[in-house]
Amino acid sequence: MTTASVPAASGRRGQPTRLRRAVKRNLTAYGFLCGALICFALFSWYPMVREVILSFQKTNFVDPPEWVGLENFRTILQDPAFWPAWINTALFTLLALVCGFGIPFITAIVLNELRHARAYLRFVVYLPVILPPAVAVLLFQWFYNPDYGLFNQILGFFHLSGLQWLNSTSTALISLVIVSTWMNMGTGTLIYLAALQTIPSELYEAAELDGAGLFKRIRHVTIPQTRLILLVMLLLQIVATMQVFIEPYLLTGGGPENATVSVVYLMYQYAFSFGNLNGGNALGLMLMIVLMVFSAIYLRVSRDNTV
Amino acid sequence: MKSHKLSLLLVTGLTLTAAAACGSDDGDDGGRPGAASGGTAPVSISVNCEPPKTNKAQRATFEEDLAAFQKENPDIKISKVTDAFPCYDPRTFEPKLASGDLETVFFVNFPNVGRLIESGQAADITPYVDEIKTFPDYNSSIDLFKKDGKIYGLPTDGYGMGLVYNKEVFTKAGLDPNTPPKTWAEVRAAAKKIAELGPGYVGYGEYSGNNVGGWHFTASIYGRGGSVITPDGKKAAFNTPEGKAVLENLHQMRWVDNSMGSQLYIDWPALMKAMAGGKMGMMLGAPDVLIALRNDFGGKFENYAITAQPEAKALFNGGAGYMINPKATPEQIKAGLKWIEYEFLTPGKGQLDYVRAKGANLTVGQPYPDLYRPDTPSGQAVDELRKANANIDAAQFAGWVEGSRGIPPKAEPGPYAQEIYKVLDTPMSAVLTRKDADIDQLLSDAEAKVNSLLASKS
Amino acid sequence: MSDVTSSGITVMPGRSAGIPPTSPRQGHSGRRQRRPRKPINTQFRTAVSPHQLNTARGRIVYWVVLVAVLVSFTAAFVFPFYWMLTGAMKSTEELNSIPPTFLPSHFSLDGYLQAWDLLDLGRLLGNTAVYAGGAWLLTLTFDVAAAYALSKLRPALGKVVLAMMLSTLMIPPMVIMLPAYLTVKDVPLLHWNLLNTPWAIWLPAVANGFNVFLLKRFFDSIPRELLEAAEIDGASSGRILWSVVIPISRPILGVISILTVVNVWRDFVWPLLVLPDSEKMSVSIGIASLSSQMPQNVLVASLVIASIPTIVVFFLFQRHIMAGLTAGSLKG
Repeated sequence: MTTASVPAASGRRGQPTRLRRAVKRNLTAYGFLCGALICFALFSWYPMVREVILSFQKTNFVDPPEWVGLENFRTILQDPAFWPAWINTALFTLLALVCGFGIPFITAIVLNELRHARAYLRFVVYLPVILPPAVAVLLFQWFYNPDYGLFNQILGFFHLSGLQWLNSTSTALISLVIVSTWMNMGTGTLIYLAALQTIPSELYEAAELDGAGLFKRIRHVTIPQTRLILLVMLLLQIVATMQVFIEPYLLTGGGPENATVSVVYLMYQYAFSFGNLNGGNALGLMLMIVLMVFSAIYLRVSRDNTV
Repeated sequence: MKSHKLSLLLVTGLTLTAAAACGSDDGDDGGRPGAASGGTAPVSISVNCEPPKTNKAQRATFEEDLAAFQKENPDIKISKVTDAFPCYDPRTFEPKLASGDLETVFFVNFPNVGRLIESGQAADITPYVDEIKTFPDYNSSIDLFKKDGKIYGLPTDGYGMGLVYNKEVFTKAGLDPNTPPKTWAEVRAAAKKIAELGPGYVGYGEYSGNNVGGWHFTASIYGRGGSVITPDGKKAAFNTPEGKAVLENLHQMRWVDNSMGSQLYIDWPALMKAMAGGKMGMMLGAPDVLIALRNDFGGKFENYAITAQPEAKALFNGGAGYMINPKATPEQIKAGLKWIEYEFLTPGKGQLDYVRAKGANLTVGQPYPDLYRPDTPSGQAVDELRKANANIDAAQFAGWVEGSRGIPPKAEPGPYAQEIYKVLDTPMSAVLTRKDADIDQLLSDAEAKVNSLLASKS
Repeated sequence: MSDVTSSGITVMPGRSAGIPPTSPRQGHSGRRQRRPRKPINTQFRTAVSPHQLNTARGRIVYWVVLVAVLVSFTAAFVFPFYWMLTGAMKSTEELNSIPPTFLPSHFSLDGYLQAWDLLDLGRLLGNTAVYAGGAWLLTLTFDVAAAYALSKLRPALGKVVLAMMLSTLMIPPMVIMLPAYLTVKDVPLLHWNLLNTPWAIWLPAVANGFNVFLLKRFFDSIPRELLEAAEIDGASSGRILWSVVIPISRPILGVISILTVVNVWRDFVWPLLVLPDSEKMSVSIGIASLSSQMPQNVLVASLVIASIPTIVVFFLFQRHIMAGLTAGSLKG
């Protein structure tokens, strides 16, 4: 149907020319498309299909693969780290939302009110985002050391007793959330800031005339005006944080007592520590389905709101 | 203006893609049959585990050996040498194995040997081992590489566990560095004294994650006379008084004496680094730990010593060896074994060239690798060379040599050792992170998990 | 594999976000006019009323908040960098001293020199630059061409192709990393092994549905008349793309460039899988894999060195990067 929509200007020419032109245009178009098409096919589309296939196979990369039905799923379901991984991932996502969603929004509101040092503040809040995540995470590994780390030294300075950070089941996960928030909050802050700046000032003036105080104005003007971007960011952040990997990989190895093992980390362990690539794939398939639900909600939300 | 520029760019991009990809294909001849079958062309193999740059002396001798070996065997070409450290690193080892990008001759530590054999990821070398002169002199460490009468690799390093300690720290804490602890009660008392030296001092360090926690649990329970799995390999066997004693001891040191610090050591280098830092008193380890502390972690060698594992009834058999890529051709297998023999298994050559080691600022005299039965020609030759060229204080190892004599070795808990270790990480990290850890519960949970793991494998 | 959503940098476009499009120049964030310092600038209206702000109480509150924000931001985001910079100059002993020293007792660059040498940071940084540069070039080439074809040439099945490309946005690269890894290890049909080659980074970077989406949207907004004029002059499609479309698309190309380079620079899992060879590692992977055996001061020094190029680049292109990233995420 797209081919039919030839502009009127060229429509006046005769039929054969039109056909030839359509063929030529299609050939040119696919010529332009081929590079991207090959890359998509090799690194996105085929892997999606293969993920499903591999989940039901057993292969050691030496002998030909064999079909094993649900065996891979049975194996991972029996893994003592399976449920902890899902629970931790959910918990991490939840905590990361509380921190990584609320803090940037409040920061943005405050920054939006300030009239001085704006460039500096925006620069520094964005600085960690620019760092390679591995650098940020290893930096925090050093800060978290219970004996010599910066954090406990600061607590000691105020005569507070140090925390165990990564070395305790009760604080390990939140320590990961802190790193993650520190290194990612710049993005959210700047996006919210940009959104706040598009709110027409008349709305605030009108609200003020109606006698609304500062917090009422934030509740009844700021939040509704940025509602959509907040919702979009929320969904995107859920999808992003559910894939947490680098923090447990570099900081805790999933411990102590599986307190920080995440789904993607477990998937990696299956594939590369236990040499069970198929088990890892089965786990990946499960995560893919869960994330697709969130993505579908996201698409639904954005579509409903454009109509 | 220049209308063709973009399409040109596109075309160039595509051609480049193809060219480079082809190029990389050509370069990867590691495990390709036919690469070497051209008759007169030299067999091409790749090897790993070159000592890292931080370890200058060993790296230099290794490179010397590479050159000398190829000169001696003009029909063998070592096309690629990799130096990732640690040689066995789960983060890079498994991806390479899965991808077939693994070297022809690859390093493997004992915990992974059984699994690789089980999953068919190491070549069967049985028909070729007769060509290795020292093969008949191997001690029991070769058994780990055997399955159903076939041989899948060669151990090149072997040692039993012991207790590594820092003599300087002992002296500081008012302990006698020449009479190290012989019982766990003495270990506890010493650890407590060391921790009392002040903040940052750790009496006794122990692993708790990334499978090394479970690995040291295994070493500890073996020492107390226990086992991790039943002899038939079908059930867990660690929920016993021995297993409980291991955890209870750690729990008491951590929470009653507060002598273990609060930092968790979640991977192999982490504890090594802490030990090399000079504020840690003791750790469980084999004699190779001393050498690694010196060569790889910058520790002051003369400060460290090793004594026998306290009250040990059996010693966990630690070590490492080499296996051959299952995709290698027979020619490559032969060439690979020749390299292993040259570098690791010939008294007076390679790692056993003690004359050179002495001149190259490397330690000579440490009682490992322990590969040959002492009554064999190879065993005696190695022993004599070591004695003649010793450049370290034998006293640093004497306690271990004396104390370990006659204690039987005990091997890794089966082909699923890594998965079992991962389960056992949990009780290890629990007693080190929770004061209220319920040891009975932890052990019975772990037991149930290992039982279901083993059941699902059979 | 560059990752649209998980890096935390990029966001899907709020085509839905009912935000009125603002032209890039009409910045609220634009330059403030210098004023005599007395009243607090209330040129643009926000939640706080300008009137309240300029009362005596309002001004006190404002300054208190400003100072509090400045102090806490500096502590949270600048102090860690200071600690890192000076930590690398301390000896291991000094790093482990309790309480810590605020300034290193000796000024020494040994930690940095050692880190540069032991980790071979020059090569790691060079590798990373090659990966980012190649990914940038290929992404621009292929994705621009594809988006142009989909937007302006509108071939048969174009909508299906677009839908399939956009569908990849629903599946984060992380969950298909294992099969994608197998593709790299043994490319279907061709049986090339791309592991440890830059192509393992470059080609997956092209397969980015978000880029195609952004570009196509932008191209859609280019008036047809502009292209038709060129067409009537007899220009080929390639020529129209090169000399008409690309020159007016510079803003969006800037956004795509930044997204691509930043994604490759920050990525961790994918290079961890596809570049296992220590000679080929990117800087993040190199440091991470050697981190556990380095003395603490050398490790910290290597972290500093790895951050320097990013911070310098960020400093130079600050405006563009921040504007690009937020604009890219909001307006597409």
